[in-house]
Amino acid sequence: MAHSDEEEDYMSMVFEDVPKQPQVETSIQRAARRRREERARLNSRTKAERAADAEAAREAALATALPETNKGFKMMAKLGFKQGDTLGKSESARKDPIQVVVKGDKGGIGLESDKKRKKREQWEQAGREAKRTKETEGDYLAHLRQARKDKKAETDLDNAQRTAERLSDKKAEGQNTSENIETPLEDINILWRERARNRLKEQRRQRGEITRVSRVEALVDADDDDDTKIAHSRDIVPFYTTLEDDLIDEDTELAEFKALPVLDRLHKVLIYLRDTHHYCYWCGHQYRDAEMDGCPGETGEDH
Amino acid sequence: MVVKRDTYDDEDGARAKRQKVEPQDNPYLAHWNDEPPRSRKPANSDRLQSLTRHATTAKQATAAEDGPLNPFTGRTLSGKYMSILKTRRDLPVHQQRDRFLKLYQESQILVFVGETGSGKTTQIPQFVLFDDLPHLNAKMVACTQPRRVAAMSVAQRVAEEMDVELGEEVGYSIRFEDKTGPNTMLKYMTDGMLLREAMHDNNLSRYSTIILDEAHERTLATDILMGLLKEVVLRRKDLKLIIMSATLDATKFQKYFHDAPLLAVPGRTHPVEIFYTPAPERDYVEAALRTVMQIHSTEGEGDILVFLTGEEEIEDACRKISLEAQEGQDEGSGGPLVVYPLYGTLPPAQQQRIFSPAPGPGRNGRPGRKVIVSTNIAETSLTIDGIVFVVDPGFSKQKVYNPRIRVESLLVSPISKASAQQRAGRAGRTRPGKCFRLYTEQAFKHELIEQTYPEVLRSNLASTVLELKKLGVDDLVHFDLMDPPAPETLMRALEELNYLACLDDEGELTQLGSLASQFPLDPALAVMLITSPEFYCSNEILSLTALISVPQIFVRPAANRKRADEMKDLFAHPEGDHLTMLNVYHAFKGDDAQANPKQWCHDHFLSYRALQQADNVRMQLKRIMEREELELMSTPFENKKYYENIQRALVAGFFMQVAKRDGTGKAYITVKDEQSVLLHPSTVLARDSDWVVYNEFVLTTKNYIRTVTEVKAEWLLDIAPNYYDLTTFKKGEIKRSLQAVITKAQRTAMAKGSRR
Repeated sequence: MAHSDEEEDYMSMVFEDVPKQPQVETSIQRAARRRREERARLNSRTKAERAADAEAAREAALATALPETNKGFKMMAKLGFKQGDTLGKSESARKDPIQVVVKGDKGGIGLESDKKRKKREQWEQAGREAKRTKETEGDYLAHLRQARKDKKAETDLDNAQRTAERLSDKKAEGQNTSENIETPLEDINILWRERARNRLKEQRRQRGEITRVSRVEALVDADDDDDTKIAHSRDIVPFYTTLEDDLIDEDTELAEFKALPVLDRLHKVLIYLRDTHHYCYWCGHQYRDAEMDGCPGETGEDH
Repeated sequence: MVVKRDTYDDEDGARAKRQKVEPQDNPYLAHWNDEPPRSRKPANSDRLQSLTRHATTAKQATAAEDGPLNPFTGRTLSGKYMSILKTRRDLPVHQQRDRFLKLYQESQILVFVGETGSGKTTQIPQFVLFDDLPHLNAKMVACTQPRRVAAMSVAQRVAEEMDVELGEEVGYSIRFEDKTGPNTMLKYMTDGMLLREAMHDNNLSRYSTIILDEAHERTLATDILMGLLKEVVLRRKDLKLIIMSATLDATKFQKYFHDAPLLAVPGRTHPVEIFYTPAPERDYVEAALRTVMQIHSTEGEGDILVFLTGEEEIEDACRKISLEAQEGQDEGSGGPLVVYPLYGTLPPAQQQRIFSPAPGPGRNGRPGRKVIVSTNIAETSLTIDGIVFVVDPGFSKQKVYNPRIRVESLLVSPISKASAQQRAGRAGRTRPGKCFRLYTEQAFKHELIEQTYPEVLRSNLASTVLELKKLGVDDLVHFDLMDPPAPETLMRALEELNYLACLDDEGELTQLGSLASQFPLDPALAVMLITSPEFYCSNEILSLTALISVPQIFVRPAANRKRADEMKDLFAHPEGDHLTMLNVYHAFKGDDAQANPKQWCHDHFLSYRALQQADNVRMQLKRIMEREELELMSTPFENKKYYENIQRALVAGFFMQVAKRDGTGKAYITVKDEQSVLLHPSTVLARDSDWVVYNEFVLTTKNYIRTVTEVKAEWLLDIAPNYYDLTTFKKGEIKRSLQAVITKAQRTAMAKGSRR
């Protein structure tokens, strides 16, 4: 009856723009809708899902203790029973009902726990392996990257220091022609003092002039008797007397500098080169002025 | 098929005459017959005269036993008596008679431990008789048994041993059957029966000695009795109490009874070698069958006992073993093998078959064997000689009750260590044996609980609470049980009894509760029966109650399921299973069926035994109803309310076991506990009933309700307004639909009012 619509329209008193249903649904409609929705929701579930729901509801109910509003509780309360009490006079009385365990298969005693144990072991094993893989992969690679970075930074630092020393010497030569080779170590710029110290060390070793200076001696109290002093110098001192340590010990400024991360040290040297000599380590070029026109930036990444 | 109601229900239809039954005819009131203590001294009981009460020696007693006259009856002792006496003297307990008498005389309470086969159940009560001499004081000695069958068979045996008629000096009393007489001095009875007697006689004054046998089984009734007797012995210093147990864990009993002395008699057992499996079994039934076949083909002579969990599993296993054994024999590798099932619901005649001798050796010289596949009834209660091999998969069906979802169900559960030891012991009865445990030693040590949970922890206590109330125990919270259950169990029981109006809000017994306690039934059934006259159908409800109280009346053999279902359909009532059962009973009592009831039952796939039993129970319950002046009546069958009245009466008892169909129309939701359940496949309910009452909530991998009948929401609100008080309901579909029913009823009432 395709034409019936037209006929009805002809006779219709309904205005097009008026909604056919009231905006607010009545309680009966709401109830009907809810029922419909509920049914649709339930029907959409599979048998297995429903079974799982039923089991979940059962387990939930089994895990919930009866409330104190229970009439039986009130009767027991009249006899002096309180929540958490047990019945009778025995000390070992139960607090909770015996658990209901529904056995769904023909598995023998211990099979379930054996399965669980195996599964748990598998999980643990898998977990351990995953962790190890991650360690070997992630950590090792990161470590490797870091080591490479550090090594590169060390090389850069060494090169930059050499350049800085060279430029600085060149500048000094330019300003003042007098030979000034025997500058005391502590007057050399901290940025490349290590290089100078290493050179000095090498010279001294060649001269066989190894001094033993004890850090411990300095610590030793003046009031200590001679025996103690002897004992200290004899027994303890040799452990602390290495040439390197001597030199660092004497030069706290250098020690502090050396304690900085290699990248920081590199950064300091590079800034020195830029500020003082308008030299960019990355460009490998000494610019004319402080503008350093043409250099993309301070860091290696910029280049 | 709808069966027209016959007139057997009572003499004149709806209005039954009130019949007053004299108390002496009521087996429950047998102890009321307090005829003056007549001296039951036989004329020539000289030998007993020489004995002093509580001061006899074993020597004096054995002299009295030797005859030539029966010391209790004065009759000449038979030759059979003499030959039995000889074997009795060989029993292990006999060696301890002197020690037993000494302890018995010295102490009011005694714990006696005798392993199976020691002879304690038959001999100890007789030892007591010769010292307690109860008949001289018009008292009796009671010996309780957890099972009816045991009470009957032991009484029979002891009557023979004492050369007396069963029901005379020695008798028994079980639910719905009392075989005792005025001369009875030794009474074997179920523990439940003694408990019921205590309800009328709180001091158990008829007895001078009470023996609680098989106490290790820890049945509900035994546990309650122990709690009661612990108090009674304080009131009655002349009462002696013996707790008998078959297991060595008797120290628990000792401790409970204020460190009572203990006497232990070893049984006659042989060593049993125990084998475990190296790994857990995937399928314990399959493993059991494999083990049986392996024993059969490799081990020497000796019968096999296999423990499985239930009828279906056992029958199935028996079939498979027979088949395999036949194959083996055809191939010439195995000897002859016969297989017998054994479970509680098996007819006694078939149970007896397990005692038939094993077949002889085959032509190939391999030994013949019998295999018994049994539930745990073969664990303690039955002794089968010749068992050398035990196969123990480690499971049994155990009753479980959980008050949180109010479900009482039989579930397959792991056994306890004690139970496993008991099972193993069965292999060493005749000679050294072997026990094959189908689990690992590790599992035995770590997965099995020490002791099986006593029944009191696994039961709905509603009827027990009613009994205790009637027994005068008011402080139920502090009643001294050996293993008190979880408080929630008592809570639920009290709540249920309150809704049934058996207890008031103070927890005091109401008149209805007192009346309900007179019936040996669940409180819900008792209330249904008591209120049934209000619905004009007490005759029908009486039949129905009896039918619900007996084992399944429908038989559905695996080989003939279709035919059985067709036969059941003949009786089907579209509105439910209760009404269908009633139709069956009415047909069974009809002339056609009664002409040859056994054949009729066989033809219709009905259990003749169950129906007969129902008939018997009905008769007993009818007596109680008459005694309590409850009217027996029926709605005329022609009346269209005939079935509706029955359904309404059902609601009066089972309003707490109601489920509503859920949105999908496939499953049901139980009222208040809101558990999703399915109708058991056995139901005949043929309509899409929105509301049903159910008799049982069965827990398997799915939740089922079994034995269901349609009811109407209006009836629920009308008959059990306290329970269906909507303010106590959780929000949800059930509350919504009940509210709708109320609103509709109100509207109808208003419409009627305005029309007037």
